[in-house]
Amino acid sequence: MTDTPQDLPEGASKRLAELEHGLFTSDLSVNEFLLIKEVGFHPLGFVMGSSIYHTGIQTRKWGQSQELTKLTEAMYNARELAMTRMEEEAAELGADGVVGVRLDVNYYEWGKDAAEFIAVGTAVKAENGVSHRNKLGKPFTSDLSGQDFWTLMQTGHIPQGLVMGTCVYHIAHRGIGQTLGSAGQNVELPNFTQALYEARELAMTRMQDEANQLDASGIVGVRLEEKSHQWGSHTIEFLSLGTAVVKTSDEVTLPAPTTIISLDN
Amino acid sequence: MDDVPGDLPEAAARRFSEGAFTSGLTVPDFAACLQMGLEPAGYVQGFCVMKWGSWQFYPGAGPYGGYGPNVAGTHGGYSESWQCPHGFVSAEHRVWGQNYEQPWVEDAWANGFTSAYERLIEEASALGAHGIVGLVDTSAPLGDLGVLEFRVQGTAVKVKDGPPPADGRPWTTYLAGQRLAKLIEAGYMPVSIAATVASVRVWASCITAYLTEGTNPGWTSQAVGAEIEQTARAQMAVRRIARERVRAQLGGDSLHGASMGTRERELGEGDADLECILRGNRVRRFKEFDPMPAPRPTVRLS
Amino acid sequence: MTGPAPLAADRPDGSAGDATSGDIRKEMLAAAQSLDRSAPSPAAAMTSDLSIDEELTLHSIGWEPIELVYGVSLHSIPMGVWNWGQGEITHASSAFARSFAAATDRIHHECARSGGHGVVGVHVERTVDRHHIGIALTGTAVRPVGAKKLPSTDSVFVSDLSGRDFTLLQGSGWVPLGLAAGASFVYAPRRSMGTAMKQTSQNVELTNFTEAMYAARESAMERMQRSALALQGTGVVEVKVTEGPMEFAHHAIGFSAYGTVIRLVAGQHRNLAPRMVLPLDDPVRGVEATALRGA
Repeated sequence: MTDTPQDLPEGASKRLAELEHGLFTSDLSVNEFLLIKEVGFHPLGFVMGSSIYHTGIQTRKWGQSQELTKLTEAMYNARELAMTRMEEEAAELGADGVVGVRLDVNYYEWGKDAAEFIAVGTAVKAENGVSHRNKLGKPFTSDLSGQDFWTLMQTGHIPQGLVMGTCVYHIAHRGIGQTLGSAGQNVELPNFTQALYEARELAMTRMQDEANQLDASGIVGVRLEEKSHQWGSHTIEFLSLGTAVVKTSDEVTLPAPTTIISLDN
Repeated sequence: MDDVPGDLPEAAARRFSEGAFTSGLTVPDFAACLQMGLEPAGYVQGFCVMKWGSWQFYPGAGPYGGYGPNVAGTHGGYSESWQCPHGFVSAEHRVWGQNYEQPWVEDAWANGFTSAYERLIEEASALGAHGIVGLVDTSAPLGDLGVLEFRVQGTAVKVKDGPPPADGRPWTTYLAGQRLAKLIEAGYMPVSIAATVASVRVWASCITAYLTEGTNPGWTSQAVGAEIEQTARAQMAVRRIARERVRAQLGGDSLHGASMGTRERELGEGDADLECILRGNRVRRFKEFDPMPAPRPTVRLS
Repeated sequence: MTGPAPLAADRPDGSAGDATSGDIRKEMLAAAQSLDRSAPSPAAAMTSDLSIDEELTLHSIGWEPIELVYGVSLHSIPMGVWNWGQGEITHASSAFARSFAAATDRIHHECARSGGHGVVGVHVERTVDRHHIGIALTGTAVRPVGAKKLPSTDSVFVSDLSGRDFTLLQGSGWVPLGLAAGASFVYAPRRSMGTAMKQTSQNVELTNFTEAMYAARESAMERMQRSALALQGTGVVEVKVTEGPMEFAHHAIGFSAYGTVIRLVAGQHRNLAPRMVLPLDDPVRGVEATALRGA
């Protein structure tokens, strides 16, 4: 993980320089833009990072359900690279954090066994000049929408970072074939269950470890995604994502909500 | 409900005499209509099938029928030409190009739509309706037969304690339910729907053909990557004509909630048939402009 | 057995249920009655593609729609441009830029001619074809109610903000200036990628190709920023980013970004202080029509 902006392409520096002169860009909706201003933050600019990574499948024992550690590492590194570059762009702008982060994976026909990992978001900065960077001194990242960011800030918490844990798991072939021999009865497939359970646990534990590194009080907005990418149906990546948060004050400024009955469908 | 206009098919007469109403409205729209004092009287529709696509026998279509430019420009309407700058003629190299409006297509569409619409009005009048809401109109080719079917459908309603329409023709609108209620609250009354089609043919000049095919840049004597001016002007014209045609139908009223869609059919070598359909609600102010106060922004917690 | 309470329409005495529904009935009745006697007022004739919600929000800040407006342009791409090459496909990038600029110019002109002070709700349609790139913009010209034509067309704005977003920003002290767009088209690195991958058995980053894609994205964004700066804006909101291979040439990738440029005109940003609400609706269950009558 490199810290120097030399990692970013030349075009990026030029674009970021323009943003530092006062122009901001963002893919936030108008609603999100206004809500971010409400909690005292101002958008600085659209930031992004990407990495094209070779994600070819490694050899493995077909009869055994196991984690494919090399692939796990690859998926993790690729996303880390993309996120880090996005954070570097944000740091270059002097941002306190990045909101509305989206992680995407692109596959191209012409590059089998390779995928492009992209992280995009909007860099923001507190208007009162007080630094809101996280424990590691880097801009916080979060995939919270502008609305969720506003609500979170009202509860006296602030995001620290988008945390993720990933695990690429291979589900044994033979195990399923054997059990399906007794098809017709509705039974649990214990090997399958065990395998999925373990994979998900690994992903979530790794995510929690990242949150601990940031001294977080908790993780909000956790979701678990399962994808086979280009590997066929017996190999699945389990990706656990969430936003680590830290409590900044005991004061909750949320006023009591008004209850309404909406008159529109 | 006893005397059904002679034009309506027998099946419609049977349907109306049965008594219970049918409605194409969704449940929330239905509930909203009742709250506004609009009582559904029946589901009404109108159809018309037109022969479509062969224009050579249409009057005014010029010496090439509908397939070539009108040399004399006798059909009127929008027309623009471009001369070939190259100074030679060959079988494949046109002497000039022309954008021209195709009033025969526009009139045929208007005929088909109006016929379907008039049948809808007849059905609604037979029910004693005051208005028709939730109108849906489509025009679609029927299989491969070279025909276009026009369909208009909606829910006929009566305004509780309201007057029957003075000229016997119910008012019509695409809106229904809550959106109609808001339109009324904003001070507008629907008069009728308005819909029109504009049709422009691009008879490509040599330059347009080269630019569209990307060939022979040397012959275009234009910078590489130039604007395809003829086609751009046709695109602007077809929209302008649609807007003008709709305005002519408005009679001074306003068009609300319009939708404009354009379709291009490429005929090869830069030639194209452009069609723009514009439809919307013709509405009229019935009370002074009285805006709501600025709404209060909220953030919802769910 | 008691069924659900009947709607106001079914009450035997025909009375309305509550004050608001009574009002809307009166309004509907008055509106229907007005048709006989009214003639349209020529001054009012407008054409608009805004929804009623958008119109109501505009009305609440004293603005009105006046005319449906549009702008279209297309620029040609010479033959052979999409064949596999290296780096940026400059013809495509510049065709996009020129079409966007010309289309924006035309809709701007249409708006000014109709007396509008700006266009809202612009719908942007991009067509990328083997031989041309075209942009079509459609929107509604608006102005403060009854306002006259602006003396200079420079301040006429074009924006893809909805009527609602326009109203919200106005309330906070921001105005739209125009649309900013940027695009870049590049060739994908093919054979060299295959070679590179065969050379490594490890799962590693392919740095050259990363650089190529990353650079293309940045370039599209940077061009958008430049057009925003040219309008002297403070920021660009609701940026829409699209990227992907061309349908007709899978090895060519296009990146584009566009959004509305805004500027702060009030001394400083005015906070909205939104109220938090907790809706008590559940998803509506289907109700049988027969239950409303005769139970």
